[in-house]
Amino acid sequence: MSSSVVVYSPDDIRGRIVSKILRVNGIKSLLFSSHFEVKEAIVRNSPALIILDLKKNVSSELNFLETISYELSEATIIALADTSSVHVLENLGLTNLLCVSDPLDPELVLSMVKDTLAGEFSIRAYIHILQKALSKFLRLVIRSIKIIILLIIGLLGGYMYWCVSTLPATENLDEYSPYESSKIFSYDNVLLTEFYVERRTFIPHEKIPKHVINAFIAVEDMRYYKHHGIDIIRTIGALFRNIKEGAFVQGGSTITQQLAKMLFLKPEKTITRKIKEIVLSLQIEKKYTKDEILGLYLNKAYFGARAYGIEAASQAYFGKSAEKIGISGAALLAALPKAPSKYSPFKNHGESLNRRNYVLKRMLVAGFINEKEYHEALSDPIPIKYHGRKHKAPYYVDYCRTVLEKKYGDRLYTSGLKIYTTLDYKDQLKAEGAVRKGIEKLKKRGIEEVQAAFLAVDLKTGRIKAMVGGTNFWDSQFNRVTQAMRQPGSAFKPIVYLAALKKGFRVDDILEDQEVTYVVKGRDKTWTPHNYREIYHGTVTLKKALALSLNAATVNLAKKVKIKNVIETAETLGIRSKIHPFYPSALGASELSLMELVYAFAAFARGNRIEPMCIDRIIDREKLALVEPSGVREKVIDNKVLANLKRMLRAVILNGTGKKARSLGRKVYGKTGTTNDYADAWFIGFDDETVAGVWVGRDNRMPIGENETGSSAALPIWIEYMKN
Amino acid sequence: MKIKNFFKSKPSVQAPDGKDNEVEFKAKDEVLDLADTPKPNKKKKTEGALKGPIGLDIGTANIVVAQNRGKDIRALRQLNAFFTVPYSNITKRTLLRDEVIFFEKDKKLYVLGYSAEDFANTFGGNTRKPIESGLLNPKENESISVIRVIISRFIQGPQTKNEKICFSVPGEPLDRPASVVFHESIIRMHLKSLGYSPIPINEGLAVILSELSSKNFTGIGISMGGGMCNVCFAYLSVPVITYSIQKGGDYIDRMVGSSIGESPTKVKEIKEQGLDLTVEPKDRIEIGLHVFYDDLFSGLVKSLQQVLGSSDNIPRLSMAVPVVLSGGTVIPRGSRERFEKALSNVRLPIRISDIIIAQKPLYATAKGALTMAMTEEKEI
Repeated sequence: MSSSVVVYSPDDIRGRIVSKILRVNGIKSLLFSSHFEVKEAIVRNSPALIILDLKKNVSSELNFLETISYELSEATIIALADTSSVHVLENLGLTNLLCVSDPLDPELVLSMVKDTLAGEFSIRAYIHILQKALSKFLRLVIRSIKIIILLIIGLLGGYMYWCVSTLPATENLDEYSPYESSKIFSYDNVLLTEFYVERRTFIPHEKIPKHVINAFIAVEDMRYYKHHGIDIIRTIGALFRNIKEGAFVQGGSTITQQLAKMLFLKPEKTITRKIKEIVLSLQIEKKYTKDEILGLYLNKAYFGARAYGIEAASQAYFGKSAEKIGISGAALLAALPKAPSKYSPFKNHGESLNRRNYVLKRMLVAGFINEKEYHEALSDPIPIKYHGRKHKAPYYVDYCRTVLEKKYGDRLYTSGLKIYTTLDYKDQLKAEGAVRKGIEKLKKRGIEEVQAAFLAVDLKTGRIKAMVGGTNFWDSQFNRVTQAMRQPGSAFKPIVYLAALKKGFRVDDILEDQEVTYVVKGRDKTWTPHNYREIYHGTVTLKKALALSLNAATVNLAKKVKIKNVIETAETLGIRSKIHPFYPSALGASELSLMELVYAFAAFARGNRIEPMCIDRIIDREKLALVEPSGVREKVIDNKVLANLKRMLRAVILNGTGKKARSLGRKVYGKTGTTNDYADAWFIGFDDETVAGVWVGRDNRMPIGENETGSSAALPIWIEYMKN
Repeated sequence: MKIKNFFKSKPSVQAPDGKDNEVEFKAKDEVLDLADTPKPNKKKKTEGALKGPIGLDIGTANIVVAQNRGKDIRALRQLNAFFTVPYSNITKRTLLRDEVIFFEKDKKLYVLGYSAEDFANTFGGNTRKPIESGLLNPKENESISVIRVIISRFIQGPQTKNEKICFSVPGEPLDRPASVVFHESIIRMHLKSLGYSPIPINEGLAVILSELSSKNFTGIGISMGGGMCNVCFAYLSVPVITYSIQKGGDYIDRMVGSSIGESPTKVKEIKEQGLDLTVEPKDRIEIGLHVFYDDLFSGLVKSLQQVLGSSDNIPRLSMAVPVVLSGGTVIPRGSRERFEKALSNVRLPIRISDIIIAQKPLYATAKGALTMAMTEEKEI
């Protein structure tokens, strides 16, 4: 059954009126003015409703009505005719009959149609209204979208024009001038070194070994020879991967883009920079061949260790020319530009090795090397020794560089800054001498290849006065002050005692010092802390327990104070390394750096937390000085507690493990530390002006030597420095 | 499709006798942006670049073309009149120099549009009309030529095949039977020859389409032009009643002129110079104008009563419907009140809600025709 209403009217105007009011109200209608047409429509559509305009004369329409009466027997008929005509229609068997007499009332007809179509109408009317509203809404949306698109196109066009108009000329690429170096001074005006862009030793691309080039292509830009500066596939892939990982795990920049970025653009992460980078890349690709671009890239890239360019990098890491670099060396060099500091073999050995091996894997997958070459390269060690130029206070300078790079990025090497550090060069020389002497003494006792680290900090400001990160920077750049994570042993104990004092314990409160076995929670294990030389005192005061560094009494105290309060206290002192919530942590089992420990002790001196500070002021090209703020922070230990803590730390010197320091003949405070098997020896102590810490040990964590404790191995170095 | 840049172009048009005549189109046409208030005396230069369907009002006094330009409708109006001068090279050169619209035929120069009026005033004669009483003037052999040339100046031809052009046609005159069919056919033939798909629309219905969209295109539209008044009663845009009376602005001018012994041209001038029917007349001409305005309105509403009353097609309406008046004759202030007064004296089979004057009386018909053309274009 059709949903249209069939309208028959020999009068054009009346028919159109009826038809129109139906259509305006969302009812489909078919209007016919001839017998033939309407008959055909009725036969074809079997309408549920037909409107017959019989105004003129029913009798004249009789023959026609007879011919269609059969088809209309089921339909409802609205007859526009006099009521007197009804019986004529009824005689024809048309029973579902509604009659509308003249004058024509379109609204009445509409109402009848609505009633007849009932449900069907309501749905259709609803759809009609909905369609109208939707159509209006869509028009509005389309119009808005058009305006927005035009606006965006306009803005983008203008923006792109601006970006392109401010681009540097790629013609200058070959003549790119070097930057002005930054000078780094000690606090007492001694030039320590210069931070500069390494004098590049240009190596023509033809001379760069194929496997070096392949290593870079494998890890940086696999489709390098297929794209024209921009790798759409890689960009989209990187986008999807980053979205999937929820972090920036893959970059989409091609080698050409990286070259454009490093040559002409600032390291900022902005859309503008990206657009400029793309345009420049296209220009570079237009001007240079692929091999030339690759050559430029390798000669300009930064590889860490102050090495710019593949030749300088090869010299710095391997002490030989890039022409002589093997596959594993090539892989290491290719590993570096992504994050030179993170993947530095001197700083992060493990990360560096992993990244190099990843590059090798990529080379294998790409078919640049075969299985045999791959496995051979994997077995090659990565370099540990820097082959660059030597300078003063190298560990300290390297530490400053790390701090400054975070702040200034590449500008550090190019902006002609004058950087005045907090280092007291005389103190530094003293510290280096003290370490040297300490190591020599150990050597005399037959202890070889041991490392030591030293840090001295000014108590009033938190400024680093001296730093020695190892016995020889030029052999090992690993900084044992800042990078080595070692167990502090008993040197951690003052933190436990501080937590106790804060909780209301007194210096003379009694502690049990007995061999006690503790059950490890959640594990079927026990743990028994032992005192050094297995001597137990039964009961001791807090002061004596710390002075003699008694393990059993300290664990007993930690139990009373609760380990979580010990951890909290450590955190307030500025320790950021994880202190595990187990009793062994009270005896210094959780690893931390010498720097953390020294700054924690700095708080013991004056009661304030102190932040490390290595830069005094920076003067830029315009002679504008940027003075760094003091490292002294909030008060974390109140005066009464502080006084008691210092009494206990003084007792360590007077009556305890730090007796040797009495030789200084002045009031100093401190604490020794020795870990199991004599793997680490510590002494951290302070006077009224300086806090200093010493660590002695081996990088491989093997014992220093029998009976080499904090007192015997570390304290002499500290005393040597603190003399005078 | 473009409106011709008639200030610069020199198109060739087909002369009525089939010969090619070089016609110079340099005239002052009135251009109105229907988004603005009409300023009948201000002549603007057309900017061209109009697109899409066209609405065309061929009236006794004016020819108006309406077309979309972006969101606005642009309308161009030209006086539907001509004046002939004997051919001479020097006259032709003068016409060319003065950018006058004209064509040349049978050793005569036919000056068209506003320029014809200027010539008539200069030479002391009357302009001649291609349309009389709303229909092609049977007394003028060159009627269709004049109309063709004027229309051709506005429109350059369709840009797509069968582009819609909707042109106004009068309703059948009540008072003097005349062949609207002939008039309509001639215009249709001409537009078709230009490549358009022409659609005729009753002038009164065009007024309704232009002004009564908010009333669902239901009401009475009356276009009161120079030659006739066209009336249409439409229900939901279906024209139920259409007719015309062959009285309009020219009738008023003529009757006033003959009553007081003044030339109709002078009467017309007074009428168009700001006649205010709401205030007492100042002189004989104004008295005459008041009288014959009332006469015209009276005759009009009587015709309305007669036609509506005698029609059996008038549907039963639950609501009152508006009457909208348009055309140059209703421009004088007070026309609406005079018509309302006249209407109050008759009873109609339908209730009237309000009487309104078209927003832009001179352009309503063309705008309505454009609406129709656009609707037809959409339905393709």
